[in-house]
Amino acid sequence: MGVGVDSGRRPFTGGRLGRAIGAMSETRSWPFLLIVPSLLVILLVVLYPTLHGISLSFREMRLTRPDLGTGFVGLRHYVDLWHDDIFWRSLANTFKWVTLAVSLELAMGMISALALNREGPLMRICTVLVLLPWFLPNVVAANMWALMLDARLGVVNELLVRMGLIDSYVAWFATPTSGLLAAVFIEAWHGYPFFTLLILAGLKAIPKDLYQAASVDGAGSYQAFRNITLPMLRMIVVTAVILRVISLANSPELLLILTGGGPGDSTQVISLYAFKTAYESFDFGYAGALSVVTLLLLMVFCVIYLRVSRVLEK
Amino acid sequence: MQSRRQFLATTSGAAALAIAGIPRQARAAGAVSYWHHFTSQTEMAGLADVAALFEAASGATVSSEGIPNAQYMSKVTTASVAGGLPETLMVTSERLPDIAALGAIAAVTDRIDDWAHKDNFTADAWDGISLEGEAYGVPAFSFVNWVYYRKDWFDELNLKVPDTYEEFQEVAIALSDPSKGRYGFGLRGGDGGQNYLLDVLESYGALNYADGKATLDTDAARAAMGWYAGLATEHNAVPPSAANDSYRQMMEGFKTGQTGMIWHHTGSLIELSEAMEEGQIGTMMRPAGPAARIARVNYLYNSISGKGDMDAAWDWISFWAEPDAAIALLEATGYFPATSAVASDPRITGNDIYTAALETLKIGVGSPKIVGFSGWLSGTVLSEFQKILVGTSNVEDAVDRMARELDKEMR
Repeated sequence: MGVGVDSGRRPFTGGRLGRAIGAMSETRSWPFLLIVPSLLVILLVVLYPTLHGISLSFREMRLTRPDLGTGFVGLRHYVDLWHDDIFWRSLANTFKWVTLAVSLELAMGMISALALNREGPLMRICTVLVLLPWFLPNVVAANMWALMLDARLGVVNELLVRMGLIDSYVAWFATPTSGLLAAVFIEAWHGYPFFTLLILAGLKAIPKDLYQAASVDGAGSYQAFRNITLPMLRMIVVTAVILRVISLANSPELLLILTGGGPGDSTQVISLYAFKTAYESFDFGYAGALSVVTLLLLMVFCVIYLRVSRVLEK
Repeated sequence: MQSRRQFLATTSGAAALAIAGIPRQARAAGAVSYWHHFTSQTEMAGLADVAALFEAASGATVSSEGIPNAQYMSKVTTASVAGGLPETLMVTSERLPDIAALGAIAAVTDRIDDWAHKDNFTADAWDGISLEGEAYGVPAFSFVNWVYYRKDWFDELNLKVPDTYEEFQEVAIALSDPSKGRYGFGLRGGDGGQNYLLDVLESYGALNYADGKATLDTDAARAAMGWYAGLATEHNAVPPSAANDSYRQMMEGFKTGQTGMIWHHTGSLIELSEAMEEGQIGTMMRPAGPAARIARVNYLYNSISGKGDMDAAWDWISFWAEPDAAIALLEATGYFPATSAVASDPRITGNDIYTAALETLKIGVGSPKIVGFSGWLSGTVLSEFQKILVGTSNVEDAVDRMARELDKEMR
């Protein structure tokens, strides 16, 4: 049953507003108007907090010292930061921490993805097993490894002693070098499935006939990997590295649980230093300055990395 | 059939009659939310016992949430800024200035003045939760600092219980045999170690307090840090993991026979007694330093945030002073009662192992309450001490930085 003209109702024309919208939809500004709602949401949930965080770094904001007020202090926090030994140490540690962890994760992710990229009855189970560490929350993974590496009860120490690799139990987190390396190892164990997942998806998308053609031309496995697999994965690897670097530079929880930044600031990274400045010293202004520096460094890294990797070029 | 309005009128009348029949102390009804930083099984059992007694007496329910101590301040800070504080929360003396400055707890001075149990607490107990004449909570229980030692090892080596820092060092060295993985002292150099560093600094007279500010005597601080770090760096009398050892590692070290002495408080007695054999554990007072014998008698307090039902919240935090509640907690955890009335209970005075705690009660001091001080201890002092332990700094540089940062913090 339809509604005809004879139903007594006039067809909907939208009135004046409808006609105005109809006319506007023919103009060149129409696409821009359509994105206004999304733009407003982005401004609210992304830009406002970011700008607020940046403005915090130029103000006095010590929650336990209301007597100091919340006034504008200009670049004072940044000047203090320049003279702050712990900041420079944290910066160096952040560089080591991120570089070592991402390199290790990328290598482990690539190897495991290549191993999983084949047909077989157990491949699905193996894929799930490889991805298991990624499913664990950081807090659980950190506490679990802290216990396994414990200097008195740790199963890792026991295994290494039985294998004859060490003479007695080692306090892994009690020295600057072993503390950082142990934390990097745990982070790599926890984070490598991220690379596995993305690289595996990339490997599945590479057309098989490329390898067949290369094989016909006499290319071996290594040549096929170097000239087909790696170039085809470049975009995915670059994207994954950027995401992981940002994530690692911004996530202090693993180090917070394993070492608390110690011993003696030897595993202090900028994000952890900012966290402790905010929540132990309650100095949100200085913590804001530390966060802004992290933001700037990550932006510079992304620009340089994208240029060097040339993924944006045609 | 009753209407909903009639039903509510009937039940509220019955509730009023029921409430009239129980003491005022426990007239709360409904639910009280409570944040604490208990972690061990014995603590959880003790909390459950106290909550069950309260619920039976008041008809109210307690919904408690445990937050790890290391994350406690960040959680309180976030909830304070963003909203979402519970009605009641646990507070320590060291954190009182910061939590009060955040506006996360409300003064309860008027309620305390009208409270029958007020005089059962010592002036020190109230001092630990008071700021500028206002009291911000009620003492729940106390931690009396003392030393646990391996009585069997002392007997084997015919060692006397040390009374001074000098003697303590000698005994720690005598107990140590690194080739057997045995060390005299379970030094806590990781999280929480800042509290022991405070004790050592005060024992050397390195900290002076006046007008709500702290100053550091650098010469005394060098002597203090030198002595304490020397147990590790010079005498090899602490486990190699000391720089990262926090509560759990320190306790496991003692339980597993790695260390012969540890500094902690009465609250660990139940856990250690259950894990070790009879006759292995002894307790003694903290040794005296060159300037003073410093042992804390810290009270742990419960406070009201000021959100929700203030009467129900008050009933819950004041219930902890009831004798039944205090003894239930002691039996489950070993935590000392906060009231002098309950501490003189024969179950405590008749037990030899508590002798050191009862002696310490006579000379025990509270923690300094200075804004920004706890951040300096955990952020600077502990970190600098760790650097000395791992050899990336020395006593002189560490104390110089401690003085600089304290000066900055106190400005």
